[in-house]
This record gives sequence, C-alpha cells and structure tokens, in this order.
Amino acid sequence: MTSLFVNPFHFSTISENPADMLGDFYSNNFEKKRVDPDSMILNLGPQHPSTHGVLRVLAELHGEYVLRAEPVLGYVHRMHDYMGQVKTAAQFLPNTGRVDYLHPVAWNWAYVGAMERLAGLEVPERAEYLRVICCEFNRIASHVMWWGAFVLDLGGVTPILYAFEEREKINDLLQIVTGSRLTLNSMRFGGMGGDVDDRFLRLAREFIPWMRERLKMYDQLVTGNVIFRRRLSGVGPMDEDLCRRYGATGPVLRGAGVAYDTRRAEPYSVYSHFDFDIPVAETNDCLGRYLVRLREIEESLKILEQALAQLPGGPIKHPKAPKATWKAPAGEAYFAVEGARGKIGVQVVSEGGKSPYRVKLRSPGFSNLSLFAEAAEGTLLADALAILGSLDLVIPEIDR
Amino acid sequence: MIKAIVDNIKGLYSLLVGLFITGRYGLGPFPAWLKLQKPENGYPQLTTHYPWQTIEPENLVNFRGPLELVPAEDDPAQSRCVSCLMCVKGCPSGCLTVVKGDQGKAPKVWLSDFSLCSLCGACVEVCPAGALRYSHDLYWVEEKRENLVNDLLAKLAAPRKASL
Repeated sequence: MTSLFVNPFHFSTISENPADMLGDFYSNNFEKKRVDPDSMILNLGPQHPSTHGVLRVLAELHGEYVLRAEPVLGYVHRMHDYMGQVKTAAQFLPNTGRVDYLHPVAWNWAYVGAMERLAGLEVPERAEYLRVICCEFNRIASHVMWWGAFVLDLGGVTPILYAFEEREKINDLLQIVTGSRLTLNSMRFGGMGGDVDDRFLRLAREFIPWMRERLKMYDQLVTGNVIFRRRLSGVGPMDEDLCRRYGATGPVLRGAGVAYDTRRAEPYSVYSHFDFDIPVAETNDCLGRYLVRLREIEESLKILEQALAQLPGGPIKHPKAPKATWKAPAGEAYFAVEGARGKIGVQVVSEGGKSPYRVKLRSPGFSNLSLFAEAAEGTLLADALAILGSLDLVIPEIDR
Repeated sequence: MIKAIVDNIKGLYSLLVGLFITGRYGLGPFPAWLKLQKPENGYPQLTTHYPWQTIEPENLVNFRGPLELVPAEDDPAQSRCVSCLMCVKGCPSGCLTVVKGDQGKAPKVWLSDFSLCSLCGACVEVCPAGALRYSHDLYWVEEKRENLVNDLLAKLAAPRKASL
C-alpha cells in the first residue's frame, strides 16, 4: 500500500539511483553543479512566451538573482547541414530560406554565394543590385519585427502592432520579386529567379520616405520613453572581450563598440558602390544594442535609396548559369554575408559528386546565444530576459 | 536636486508624447471616430478581411500557389507535358508522380502532393516544355491530408471553382 503513495512534495535531490530523480538529463546535470544549496532551479521554456519560440533556459536563482544560467538547445533541430549533403545543390537551396524565417534572403545569398565562389560563376550586375535590394528590405523587416518583439518582452504591447504594418508593406514588396511572403527563395546560382517591375520600383521609392517618418514615430513612442530608457540603461553590459571570446557578431558586437560589419570587412557583391556608415553604440548595454539596430534601419534605407537609383538594366541571370541537374565541381569555398543578426557563413566542400561532400552553416544566433550564460550571471531574472531579447534570437537558426 | 526635477518633468513629457501617439493611432483621424468621415478617408486598411474580401489580382502577379499544368495552345483540356520526368528528378521533396501514357508523350497520371510541396519552383524552372506554372488558388482548404494530393490532369479538364 505504501508503495502506491507518491509524495507530491518530494523534492528532487542528487541520488544514487537516477530513477529517483525528477527532471530530465539537462536539469539533473545542471543541478549537480549547484552553487548554493538554498537556490531554486527554474526552467524558462521551452514554451515560455518571453523566450521567442522553443528556447529553454535553465536558471539557478537566489531570490530574484540569477546565479547561473544555461541555454538548452535542439528543440527545432532539423539537420539542415546534413540535408545539404544528401540533396543536390539546387534541391538544398529552398532549405536555406527556412533556416532563419526573419531574414531568409541573407541565408539564400550565403549558400548561393558559396556555390558561385566554388564554381567560379559570374553574376550579372542587375542581379547583384536586386540581391542587395531584397536583402536590405528583408533586414529592415527583421529589425522592425525585433523592435516590436523586444518591447513586447519588456511589457509594452502596442509597438508590435505598429511593427507589423511595416513588415506587411515589405512582405508585399518582396512578394513581387520572390512570389512568397515568409520563406523567400528567389536567388539562383548565377543570378536571380525573379525580376522587379515598375510597380515594385514605385512602391519601393514610396516606402523609403514613409519608413523615415515611421522611425521618427518609433523614437517618440519607445526610444524617448523614460521608463524604457531607465529599464535598459546599464543592463547586460557586454564588452568587446566577451564578444570576441564567444564569436558574437552583428549588432551585438557593434553594440560593444566594435565597428565590424561583413559588408565592409569582407566586401562582397556591389556593397562597395554604396555610401553607408556602420553604427556603433556608445554604451555596451541593452540600450546601446537597441539604438544600433534602429540606426541600422536608417543605413539600410540609405543603401536602398542608392541601389534603386543606380539599378542597371540587363539580364538577371547569366546565360551560362547552371541548370537544376548541375553538379558542383570539386573544391572548397566559404562565403560570408551580413545578416540581420550577424555574420552568416556557409562552407561548402565538394568532391564533384551529385551532392556536396560537406555543407556547414555558421549561424550568428548560435554564437550570440553562447555568451548569454556568462552575461546573465548575477543579474536579476527580469534583466536576464531583457538581455535575451536584446540578442535578437531566432531559434530555428540556432538549432538549424 | 534641480536636475532631478527637470529630468522627471522631461520623463513625464516623454510619456505624454507616447500616449498621444497611441491615442492618435487608436482613434484614427479625429473626426473619423465620430463617424463624421467615411472610413476610406481614415487610416488605410492593410489586411484583407477574407470571407468578405479577396485579394486583388494585381497583388498576386508573381504569387506562388499550388502547381497547375499549362493548357496546350490547340486544346485547352490537354497539357503541354511531354512526360520527360525532369520535374520528378528535380523535386527536393519528392512530391510529384508522373506516369507516361500508353501512346504518345502525353502523361497518364499527374499527381502533385501539396502536403509535401515547399513551393520552391524547381519543377517550374526545369520543365523544358513550359508545362507547369503556379496557380493563384489561394483559398484552397482541405480537412484531410489525403485530399491535398492534387490530380492536375483532372483539374485541367475541369477547373475547380473558386471556393468561397
């Protein structure tokens, strides 16, 4: 009779028999390294609304303070790297748009660029300009979406409703080129799969001044808000050293005061034709990273304005562009682009077979999340969530 | 001391600015919420209220919907397909089934499983006869997964009515 009774208040402690322990592998291992015997272990996620999708964070709490935190990954792991090795190059291409659902154009570009570098393919100039235009529009959409979600994390519900208005307009524009609204896939080896028409150019030129007006509204509504500024300033400082140790890139690194941008550091495509600045934050806290992203939207608008004015005519696909049954030649190539979250790199190794021998995707979100464990140590739990939000995490990209 | 007071006043002002923006967007242009002005003169509606409204064709120019066969010039009930099976080889998801007919090149069976299709466009681009294109069948809904297998030859012979 006694064996049927299970004490519901039984608290899991380290035991000789693993079956006696509550929780799974990660929480048990996390518990073994307890710093403080009186601390509480809290599972944030994998479905916690403020952690953006299926990220799970294990946190050891002493009161409101985080003693230790550990992200647990892998809930949306889809083996994208492996799929690149069993499919032909053209068949894997639509997958790249599904790695990061907020900035798919950059991922398409990284893969297409790696294959073009491997095979030495040429791209017509008009196609390069179209790539820049699509990529920058998508970057704005991604940053705007992050802006809404970040303020939502901090408790402001209204801004995300405004953010969707911009995103909707950009989706309408990108739909003209790519035919879809979320998992965009219009790049091809040696060019683009879709061209812009007069309607796109007209709407895009109307969008730029309208977006500048909206940015002023963002500043009045959120950036100038005294509660928002005091909530973020001084929270989650990340210095250059921390970012370098974990390989953080993108707005997180620029938020730490390093003017590193792949578009400048490793120039690719036609970015050298445009005049734009690399915004760097003055303070390395959450507010600094927030301001960097908003200023990046302005720089993207500047690039778009120049690209739309300089858009040359001509074909969008090289006449010798590979067909669908194309096999990549033997060799090895690496291509990196600047995504909304940082440096996106694709390494392709081919032996000349039907599909590449190895495909490695380097996602910026993974490196940016890695520094969270160290940055969150000793902060308040609510501040740890603000740090998590300021990293701009897209979980499918981290898990791939 | 004075600085703290000035800061607080500035902070309060920033809150008022935010409240003003939210209020302006919430209520619309001033006379609109009193219904003195027509709704189309207010802020534009960005979304489509589906069962009552549908998307205009100009917004669907390059839209990628479920696959469909392009009718031949001489006979609209026949397809241009020559059963070369290039699309089946190129498809990353393996969602196409094409069986060659007994006589001639015309296919006997042409199935596209929309539950697997990722709308990547590999089949449309690889087709040497130009026999495939994207439909603008936006409002297609099924309750069972099996019903998503699309018989394109039957659809070509008798186009499905726009479901509404």
